[in-house]
Amino acid sequence: MNDASSVALSAQLAVLHQTDVIANNLANLSTTGFKAQHVAFTQYLSQTSDGTPISYVQEAGTARDPSEGPITQTSNPLDIAIRGDGYFTIQTPLGERFTRNGHFQLDADRQIVTSQGYPVLSDNGSPVVIPDGSGEITIGADGSVSTNQGSVSKIGIVSFPDQQAMTETAGGLYTTAQVPQPATDAKLMQGSIEGSNVEPIIEITRLLSAERNVDYAKTFINAEATQVSNAIDRLGKTV
Amino acid sequence: MRALNIAATGMLAQQLNVEVISNNIANLNTTAFKRQRAEFQDLLYQDQRPVGAQSSDNGNLVPVGVQVGSGVKAAAIYRITEQGTMLNTNNPLDMAIQGRGYFQVQMPDGTTAYTRAGSFQLSATGEIVTADGYIVDPGITLPNNTVAVTVNASGQVLAQIAGQTTPQTVGQFQLAAFPNEGGLEQLGGNLLKETPASGSPTTGNPGATGFGQLQQGFVETSNVNVVSEITNLITAQRAYEMNSKVISTVDSMSQTLTQMQ
Repeated sequence: MNDASSVALSAQLAVLHQTDVIANNLANLSTTGFKAQHVAFTQYLSQTSDGTPISYVQEAGTARDPSEGPITQTSNPLDIAIRGDGYFTIQTPLGERFTRNGHFQLDADRQIVTSQGYPVLSDNGSPVVIPDGSGEITIGADGSVSTNQGSVSKIGIVSFPDQQAMTETAGGLYTTAQVPQPATDAKLMQGSIEGSNVEPIIEITRLLSAERNVDYAKTFINAEATQVSNAIDRLGKTV
Repeated sequence: MRALNIAATGMLAQQLNVEVISNNIANLNTTAFKRQRAEFQDLLYQDQRPVGAQSSDNGNLVPVGVQVGSGVKAAAIYRITEQGTMLNTNNPLDMAIQGRGYFQVQMPDGTTAYTRAGSFQLSATGEIVTADGYIVDPGITLPNNTVAVTVNASGQVLAQIAGQTTPQTVGQFQLAAFPNEGGLEQLGGNLLKETPASGSPTTGNPGATGFGQLQQGFVETSNVNVVSEITNLITAQRAYEMNSKVISTVDSMSQTLTQMQ
């Protein structure tokens, strides 16, 4: 295969990969606290045998769109949406994880847990336990939890200097080597949930343009192949 | 072509979403029905280029990695235990709970089930039973010649017996409350069952701390909000369509690839 075709092939591979990311965004249209991902491409420079530079397409990374998803009211007292930059701290068997998915519930030990059953940690790093016999649970904008029996605890909200440097594990949980800091501009909204921030129109547009790009690259590779076979034909005739 | 499988998980998720919404709408007029909501979460990510990996010997770090997700799955279908509105029926054996708590029902197999649907009846022996004929704990029997029955907010059952001037106390309703109401298992027929996730119940009289009060002559209607359910239905349908669009697009992309010379 010659250089021209392999450049087009690198474009096709990149676009096929982009399609996977778009499909994941659209599959997570209804996932609480989901952040859309977008692929960034970069050039990979190389040289032909006579020294002419050629550039292939390569993926630079998948960046997460950190913008806030739409807030939907559910009226469930343990659905909590975060407004502003902040994450809940979750105690998992693999260590602390961070999430913006604020769909919580009480477990049999009256701890506030995620839908996987992992405890949500307070600002001092302990699980939040609601005392027995309490009525309605009230959660303030700063995370303070109280019931009719008085103040209980305060749900910790943390933020990180670089959100892009967080790695997503399944279930909307993030992990990072950064040290969490108490969030300064985050507010909690009880009875609401942050939806997915995927913009369907943008994703569908990207999907259609990806489809076209694969097509263009195919046309290019086919044209190149025709050209090469024509060349071989003609050169063969002159001999 | 992972995109095909990813879009398929998206379509399955939206299908489940529509099933939950349709069950909510179907139970619009079910006494004390609690609406449900499907909760989704993303699946595992494949780290093709980890965040923070070194991009050179000088220690330059990759600022954003390449992480590809693999779709979506249902994490939970949870009940939203918001109080339904009170509907006045004037039936003396209709009981609504205003606040926390469940009536305890004796099942034929000897176990206890829990319900908030307080539309009760009398059995042939004068006992207070559910619409299915199951006895409501702790078992309250009205005397034969009862002409009127009153249940007060704290669950005391007073029967006015023919020929007597003062009503007579014949029983006391008891409510059960759970640490995690969402963990109760639904049995159908408005009945719920205790599970390890719900925790064990504490019982008490209506109106006591942590328990709601009874309202005689009322039933609690379902807490389904039709407008929001229909809106959710439209959103789910569109999301389903978009995922199916992904499948058809990826299909046509693969077709393009097979046409390469």
